[in-house]
Amino acid sequence: MKTKYLNLRVLLASLVLVTFFTSCEGDLDVTPQDDQNTLADEFFQNESAYLEVLASVYGNLALTGTDGAGSSNIQGLDAGTSQYGRTLLYMQTLSADQMIWSYENDPGTREIQRNIWTTQNPIFLGFWGRAHTSVAFANNLLRETTDAKLDERNVSAATRAEIVNFRAEARLLRALSYYHLMDLFGKANFITEDDALNTIPQVYDRAQLFAFVESELQAINSDLVAPRQNQYGRADQAVAWMILSKMYLNAEVYIGQAKYTEALTELNKILGGGFMLADEYAHNFMADNDVNSAINEIIFPIGSDGLATQNYGPGTVMINGSVGSIEVNGAEVGVEPGGWGGALRVRKQFADLFDGGLYSTDTRNTIISAGRTVNIIDISDRDSGYIIQKYSNATSTGGFGIDQVFVDTDFPLFRLADVYLMYAEAVLRGGNGGDMNTAKGFIDALRTRANNPNLVPVGDITLEFILDERSRELHWEAHRRQDLIRYGLFTGGNYNWAWKGNGSNGIAIPLNYDLYPIPAASLSSNPNLTQNPGY
Amino acid sequence: MRKFKLLLTGVLLLSSFAMFAQQTLKGVVKEKATGEGLPGVSLIVKGTTNGAFTDFDGNFELKNIKTGDVIVATYLGFASKEVTIVSNFNITIELEESSQRLDEIVVIGYGSTTIKDATGSVEAITQKDFTRGNIVTPENLLSGRVSGVNITQSGAPGAGAQIRIRGGASVSGSNDPLIIIDGLPLEGVSLSTINPNDIESFSILKDASATAIYGSRAANGVIIITTKKGAKSFSADLDLQYSSATNENRINVFSADEFRNIVGQQFPSRVGDLGTANTDWQDEIFRNGAQKITNLSVRGSLLGVPTRLSIGNTVVNGVLIHDKNRRSNVSLSLNPTFFDDHLKVSINANYADNSRDAADQGQISAALRYDPTQPVFDSTSPFGGYYQHRNGVNIANGGRNPVAALAQNLNITDSDRIFGNVRFDYEIHNLPELHAVVELGYDNQKFNSRFLSSIYAATTDPVALFRGTESYSDFESTNTNLNTYFAYDKTFDKLKVKGTLGYNYQKFVGEGSFTGNLRDPLSIPGVNTNDDVILLAYISRLELSYNDKYLFTANYRRDGTSRFGPSNRFGNFFGVAGAWQIGEEDFLKDSKTISSLKLRASYGTNGQQSINEGTIYLDRFRSGDPQSQVVFGGLVISPAVAQAINRDLKWEEVSTIEVGIDYGLFDDKITGSVSAYRKNSEDLLFPTQIAEGANFTNRIVRNIGDSRVDGLEFSINADIIEKENMNWSINFNGSFFNREISNLPLGLDIVTGGIAGGTGNNIQLLREGFAPNSFFVYKQLYDTNNNPIEGAYADLDGNGLINDDDRYIKNNPDPDATFGFQSTFNYDSFDFSFNLRASIGNYVYNNVNSSNSQYALLQDQSVLGNVPTSVLNTNFLNTSDVILSDIYIENGSFLRMDNVTLGYTFEKPFKGFKSLRLWTGVQNVFVISEYSGIDPEVFNGIDNTIYPRARTFLFGANIKF
Repeated sequence: MKTKYLNLRVLLASLVLVTFFTSCEGDLDVTPQDDQNTLADEFFQNESAYLEVLASVYGNLALTGTDGAGSSNIQGLDAGTSQYGRTLLYMQTLSADQMIWSYENDPGTREIQRNIWTTQNPIFLGFWGRAHTSVAFANNLLRETTDAKLDERNVSAATRAEIVNFRAEARLLRALSYYHLMDLFGKANFITEDDALNTIPQVYDRAQLFAFVESELQAINSDLVAPRQNQYGRADQAVAWMILSKMYLNAEVYIGQAKYTEALTELNKILGGGFMLADEYAHNFMADNDVNSAINEIIFPIGSDGLATQNYGPGTVMINGSVGSIEVNGAEVGVEPGGWGGALRVRKQFADLFDGGLYSTDTRNTIISAGRTVNIIDISDRDSGYIIQKYSNATSTGGFGIDQVFVDTDFPLFRLADVYLMYAEAVLRGGNGGDMNTAKGFIDALRTRANNPNLVPVGDITLEFILDERSRELHWEAHRRQDLIRYGLFTGGNYNWAWKGNGSNGIAIPLNYDLYPIPAASLSSNPNLTQNPGY
Repeated sequence: MRKFKLLLTGVLLLSSFAMFAQQTLKGVVKEKATGEGLPGVSLIVKGTTNGAFTDFDGNFELKNIKTGDVIVATYLGFASKEVTIVSNFNITIELEESSQRLDEIVVIGYGSTTIKDATGSVEAITQKDFTRGNIVTPENLLSGRVSGVNITQSGAPGAGAQIRIRGGASVSGSNDPLIIIDGLPLEGVSLSTINPNDIESFSILKDASATAIYGSRAANGVIIITTKKGAKSFSADLDLQYSSATNENRINVFSADEFRNIVGQQFPSRVGDLGTANTDWQDEIFRNGAQKITNLSVRGSLLGVPTRLSIGNTVVNGVLIHDKNRRSNVSLSLNPTFFDDHLKVSINANYADNSRDAADQGQISAALRYDPTQPVFDSTSPFGGYYQHRNGVNIANGGRNPVAALAQNLNITDSDRIFGNVRFDYEIHNLPELHAVVELGYDNQKFNSRFLSSIYAATTDPVALFRGTESYSDFESTNTNLNTYFAYDKTFDKLKVKGTLGYNYQKFVGEGSFTGNLRDPLSIPGVNTNDDVILLAYISRLELSYNDKYLFTANYRRDGTSRFGPSNRFGNFFGVAGAWQIGEEDFLKDSKTISSLKLRASYGTNGQQSINEGTIYLDRFRSGDPQSQVVFGGLVISPAVAQAINRDLKWEEVSTIEVGIDYGLFDDKITGSVSAYRKNSEDLLFPTQIAEGANFTNRIVRNIGDSRVDGLEFSINADIIEKENMNWSINFNGSFFNREISNLPLGLDIVTGGIAGGTGNNIQLLREGFAPNSFFVYKQLYDTNNNPIEGAYADLDGNGLINDDDRYIKNNPDPDATFGFQSTFNYDSFDFSFNLRASIGNYVYNNVNSSNSQYALLQDQSVLGNVPTSVLNTNFLNTSDVILSDIYIENGSFLRMDNVTLGYTFEKPFKGFKSLRLWTGVQNVFVISEYSGIDPEVFNGIDNTIYPRARTFLFGANIKF
């Protein structure tokens, strides 16, 4: 064998092999195999994609993941500890004088209901994470719907028109999250669609968040759908006006300036939007509140559906939780008879608001007290304390929700009754643009709707009265803490309620508790964040 | 398929069939002890590449031999022998089993060498070194045997183990070493389905130059497993083993009467909930376990082809009731040769059938919590006659009967695994120094699980009451691998040159489906599919040896992975190593004390890319499943949720520098090695917290920082007594290592180590300057009687507030030192061996106490619950006040005897039997430790009720035909 033939053959062989090997490098470009996952490029080839991305921003208020109620896209927390509505409810209602658990095993609830919380509280981490996730999803929608991207993808004119609304609604939901973060924590990681992913965000304090939310809501106003003209479940101009009116009403707390006139301006816009009170108070809190008369009153709901939108949200908690240990009345409200065995009661101070003969026919009074003491001496005693039956998984026509664990009942985040009471309060606090007679008319309307014949004379409509009436009307709707802070009654010792500060009759809590602490884990992931004072 | 045809063409182009005539040496190589011929012995004319292998009767032929040539015979597990040819051209060479490690052949990846010639840190463990005793899984064979290799076993039947070599270079979960079986790299697959009886040897590669040829995935070391091959002459082995296991480990909780007292003291209003029985729930859920192992392996010639067939069956009943595992293995090995031994084919096919009837290990913590004043059974109970806390059919909120839970729930997983490989080793005609090798590997595993629960299982859901659960799921994963390389081996006078050049391609796919609960009309089935993972690499290595004294190795590897984006996809890894056989130098050659001495040094880099995500660098959306939809005005829309993304993910790189000495003293009666090393890891892959809003979730895998491991290892093997009828040899190894995080982005801490007892609580930390997963706790304050004050912690930063700034780092789970000791003693036909393991300076966070030993937990929602008696030491009331206290960090140092075995061998007891060995032993003999919990050997330093490791008594017989 001649060497040169051997060499030639070796050379040829090597060339053949090298070709073979390098051709496999293309295999390294893999694509997702799971059929629930799609590559972005492929996804946007279909114009229905944009509505689906918008749905994910709304979905973040009710859902915690893509794979059922138990799935969570916030790691380290189970689904219940990071659901938007539920954590908001705990932070706004459980921390005050309207609600108390008997079982304190759910992590974080004990510390919130006794006002002894720390930076380790998982509920705070859950809300913080969930609210920022709304921001991230909204930013993503905005990035994917820039004019440049839409041009690149040759999107039709009809879809582009819809996208104008989508973009405005995404910015609205982002503003809603920042509003909540401003109210609860006083600061937030501030990120817009112009910030690159995975970078360290800057932090906005209360004043900056206030300014941002205000300017955003004003900027998007013309791109939002007119009140009550959008699909149920989607936001419209009234939602933006509602957030603005809340911010202005509480402006002295947020930025130390009185803005009651501005509040009335926004409230008047809502009042001109065509909303009406539901026929019955209870309709707002029933399984069919997405189709019964409540659709006229609810300005913005957090949706829930026993089949399609299963979640461990505020509806599930409140309906299962208020089933009494003695009464075993779960079947009436469309859940299992025993419910959660007597989990939620109301505190004495709340029950006192319905005391006396004036409220015996008031439909807002759903208190069940037979065989129960109003005082809760031992929190774990399920038979102590009164229970209520406000929320229900039954429908207004006698039927029930489809599932006995996951309720159909939407959570009314904003509704008209609130607007009425805010109007009265803004006038009382000196805002221009409203008058007390109109305010009385609103309060009368609420009482009449609630089958309460006792109407309040104008002279008796004081700020104190408004605070109490808000509790009667809007209890368990995630407003109480915000109201008490505005009145200077949440922290300090001016108003003590049962188990405030871990004292059975209530004791003063430190003034810095008007702000929740930034979760410890979140502090460690953003060096720009500093802890709130006193923690 | 097209690609393979190309490949074959390439290889065939190099063939030719010319032959040359030579003067021939013939002979036979025999095993001295048995007189049997040894197949596969390598014979080489010293100083040349002229060589051959013995056939399956031990016969060989060597061509072109002349007087004065020295023939060197080497064989794995035997001492090499040199024979000088004088006038006899028909010789018999007798080889003895070698207790000396230095001549052993060790597989180093794409080739083999002897320990003598190895420049890197390599250890070979062969059959005679295997740890004796209860061998159910391959990891059992190595336990305590190799310095720097730490194996933590779970007590559960047939469970896999966590293997760490030198602590692990990474901080994420992927600290696992790369495991290769007959050339097929395994990923994410447990070793527990491999029959340990089929394993011939392990090669443990520890340093970077040895592992660099494996580039990716080898940053944490490599374990190469070689299985037993066929033989031509007939032999058979039958192994029988029976064992019985007891678990006496209990977490001390209150007895029924003590419980009545303590409830009366702490929560007098609840005494009405007490029962009248006396139950020890831990006794009720544990039982004596049993195990039966049967293995038969037969070697012989099948149609002229050397074959090995082995069949094994293992049945384990765990010490937890209703817990068992059954495994059957069949393994076939064929080693035909063609073209006059130019083409050697090695076919390994294995089948493993495993059936795991898994009891819910969560019931171990449920049992310590259940009310001891209640009975196990209640004839009036509608829930299968088991006691439950209930009111009629309404189950109370709180604990459920753990015995019922174990009896009424079945979780069975059947897995079928087929794995194997085919290897073609072609010595190119006319170019004997060049071999072309092609290896094709395949590993396919199918899982079928069913989860069934009785209609009488307790539930609070009225819709599910007396309905039961029935759900099925399956998953199939396949791993296909191609290795192809050229190996060049030529000696020029005193210079030996070996070169390897090759290519590797590997693909992993997996998919499965689940039915959901078939009894629940609202439950929806689904599928889950893994993203494909593809790895490919170009490899090269050069080994030079001059005069058998000066050794040098260099390798380079370029790896690509589908897990990273196009710009970060490829990594380049290399290694260099050198060694000096000082023992061969003239000034030491004739030393009586030092029989061999080798100095070695190496430097190399490896990469790590083993993360769970396969497509995290791509923009993806995930749609909601049918229960996770959004409704707009009655229309159901599927939300498209943006998925967490990291476009910049790249290779984690580990570089290791090592120096070592391998020595032999007194004619290799004592051998050993000492190594010192430093590993630096950069761009650690770790799932870390990310600022909320900056991505679509709060935790994402990133390249986050650097860490360093410094270590020192030693091992000593000594043949203390070596006489005709008595042998005693020991192995003592030790390893000291210190891991430290050297750099984190912006110097920020990363919390880790989630614990039970509160959602979102973390007890460990990654912090610059400290070992990874150090414990991060509050400093407990004590009163004047030295009792801890609940919730009172030292204000370490002195600012009047107790918050995270007052937590400090107290110890970490890494041991300061680990030691292993094995002793093997033979006297006449008796053999006695045992092994010890010690770990010093490892700390454990006692999560059992921290989440259970508080009085408030005597109330378990609407019922009563038991707590550990350790609550009396602290008198703590509420879990959330104390769970982060340093009082729960305990020293977990331990000394453990894993095995002790005594056996007796009958030589030729009956006609046709070569030998019969009967043996008995104990597994998990004792543990000595100060740790107050059940077992200080926990995973990652957190003890949250592990499956107890039972003490097992064994009896067995090994029969050779």
